[in-house]
Amino acid sequence: MIGQVLGHCRVVAKIGEGGMGVVYRAYDEVLHRDVALKVVKKDARLDTSSSQRLLHEARASSSLSHPNICTIHEVGENEGEFYIVMELVEGKSLAAMCATVGLAPQSGLRYGVQIASALARAHDRGIIHRDLKTANIIITDDGLVKVLDFGLAKQVGSSSIFEGPTRSFASIENTSSVSGTLPYMAPEILRGEVADQRSDLWALGVVLYEAVSGRLPFEGRTGFEISSAILREIPDPLGPPVPPGLWAIIQRCLDKEPIQRYQRAGEVQAALEAVQSAAIVSTSPGPDQNAPRTTVLHSVQHVQVRKGDFLLLVGTTKGAFILRSNRQRSRWEIGGPYFHGHNVYAMAYDARGGQHRIWASTQSYWGTLLRSSDDFGKSWTNPPQAPIRFPADTGVSLKNIWQITLGRAEEPNVLYCGVEPAALFETRDAGETWSLVRGLFDHPHRPRWMPGNGGLALHTILLDPAEDQRMYVAISSGGVYRTNDGGRSWTAQNRGIRAMTMPERYPEFGQCVHKIVMHPTRPERLFLQSHWGLYRSDNCGENWLDIANGVPSDFGFAMLAHPRNPECVYIIPVESDEFRCTCDGRLRVYRTRNSGASWEPLMRGLPQKRAYETVLRDAITADAFDPVGIYFGTRSGQLFGSRDEGRTWQKILEGFPSVVSIRNAIVEDAPSGLRPTSPKTVHVPSRQAKSRTKSKTRQSQPRQSKTHRSKR
Amino acid sequence: MPVTFHIPGALREFTAGHSRVEIEQSPATLADALSILWTSYPGVRDRIATEQGQVREHINIFIGDEHMRYTGGLASPVSAGSQISIVPAVSGG
Repeated sequence: MIGQVLGHCRVVAKIGEGGMGVVYRAYDEVLHRDVALKVVKKDARLDTSSSQRLLHEARASSSLSHPNICTIHEVGENEGEFYIVMELVEGKSLAAMCATVGLAPQSGLRYGVQIASALARAHDRGIIHRDLKTANIIITDDGLVKVLDFGLAKQVGSSSIFEGPTRSFASIENTSSVSGTLPYMAPEILRGEVADQRSDLWALGVVLYEAVSGRLPFEGRTGFEISSAILREIPDPLGPPVPPGLWAIIQRCLDKEPIQRYQRAGEVQAALEAVQSAAIVSTSPGPDQNAPRTTVLHSVQHVQVRKGDFLLLVGTTKGAFILRSNRQRSRWEIGGPYFHGHNVYAMAYDARGGQHRIWASTQSYWGTLLRSSDDFGKSWTNPPQAPIRFPADTGVSLKNIWQITLGRAEEPNVLYCGVEPAALFETRDAGETWSLVRGLFDHPHRPRWMPGNGGLALHTILLDPAEDQRMYVAISSGGVYRTNDGGRSWTAQNRGIRAMTMPERYPEFGQCVHKIVMHPTRPERLFLQSHWGLYRSDNCGENWLDIANGVPSDFGFAMLAHPRNPECVYIIPVESDEFRCTCDGRLRVYRTRNSGASWEPLMRGLPQKRAYETVLRDAITADAFDPVGIYFGTRSGQLFGSRDEGRTWQKILEGFPSVVSIRNAIVEDAPSGLRPTSPKTVHVPSRQAKSRTKSKTRQSQPRQSKTHRSKR
Repeated sequence: MPVTFHIPGALREFTAGHSRVEIEQSPATLADALSILWTSYPGVRDRIATEQGQVREHINIFIGDEHMRYTGGLASPVSAGSQISIVPAVSGG
């Protein structure tokens, strides 16, 4: 073609090729200007009636004069080949500019306004684009939008349908009945209905979504999957930095029913301009006055969770992570970090009633919130008002949430939170509303509880599975308290526990108890790790026996009950309260299998030189497999796991922020609506890869029930 | 002239994405201005203040260039055209 003359244009060079045809740079020898010349592909050649329509549409489009529309100068035919002479636009396609990561929302808004303006002009002239997509939108070096190919798609649709960034669709055939590009097609087109200007507004919604996120709202591996997604699925929500107003506009453009969308491009343009202006000039409530209840996280990795997967929920001082594996627990995908920079002191997994809810507490400059996710971290609640708050008459403000504990099996909507300053909160409606447990808050001892190094916190909550009104809490520094009447009254249960930081060695209360654990089959037996001291009680905390027999230090934080053996408990001692690191620089877990009569070190696979580590009170968890898997994290950001009850250990990962809490879950039912986004993978050596899974595996800590259905 | 709040990025999801919020009422004090702000945008309130109504420890509020701490706290006078900035403190590790 180079050198040929079509009409009065001489072809200079080829500059592009698409499904519709080949585009050349050409020179108009009459008007002495550079132009673009599109020659319709021979294999896209039209029958007579189609060619007449193409000519008609192109001529109509050539009447469009708008700064954001690529002007068509001439349409012609030369020896059976159609050609279109148009304005030569130099720049980058929007598809190229937003690939992978998406544009800044302000850029997306700026371009969106211009695209909507172009559509508005065309629609006013009765011209529908029919193939609006990011590949058809050019951004010049000056930031000016030029929309290409107005009105042409319908006539040459047979070959253009699979153009676009989703190249994998190219092998699919037999699509001649519709025109356009599949990922941008409106549902009504796929249903065989006639496209109108609202179909262009759907495509505009797809373009805006892609522009600010770098991905398409409806994806799939085949044309069928894409079509199905367009017809039935709701696109993944766009959260910050995409402004809620922009997301609302995109959602309305992507309504499945044309009648529910904007009806005119001018409306979209006005809405985009309103979001573009960053300030408001009134105090009247905006469209988002109640603020989003849910924050969707796109800047983090997510894990794809399937039935039978095993999860570790890891709370750190810089956010939360979800680690996914299967029953082998040899390879891990990492989701997160969620809540960048926030302290996450507590997490829990709630599968009661068939749900898959992850709870997390977050603490930052902006306060402390209890949040939940029903899609394994992809989106989290972000309530405008903090759900856990002290009543005004207390004069106390929430500092942190240290513990989230699920209620009893027969009360699936009940949860408890232990907080700082030391108090217990309870919900009976699955977290919608929380109330302060007054019986404990009003206890006469409370004013004399003292903060420990980490604050004055109620960090442990134990429910007695045999006595439905009995519950224990542990407070640093306050000691152990028990209620036998569902929280109305509480008694200190600290007889026999030394208080090394008080003048009286065995006071009624005030001990700095770091952790208590209970075995569900022997709930009258409790084990306790204190600030200096290891204890066991065989009578519901009425008195405590010293069991620090053969441990290198009876100071420590982490303590874990074996999920099946009531004689077996794990601890990770640290040297002293002055030097809160593992003894002699050796990282060792200690285990008793005789209720504290003796302890054995478990160290195979754990660093034994210069390992000055600290494992905090909730940074250890046990799964429900047989043999039991045990996992713990360190303040230095390492995570270790054992699949054989602690006999041997593997490092799961390192380089995390300080680990504060770990919980685990086994996903029993197949979740829906989850898609992966290239999770990071960490490989764990497989020398202990055996996994026996005979047990009816469930989340092991805390307990759960499948007998009741949640109200939510 | 309206009183203008400058909203930090972390709170904009609670102000419909706005980085500035102008209020046309004539608040006399910072407490009045904040009250008007979170009447319109209630999600902002709990991020700035505790449930007992105190500004959070690591949140700084400036009226013009002056920290509220030196102008009377929540009772600091606010006048037409005041620019109020909400800024998280530098702290932590």
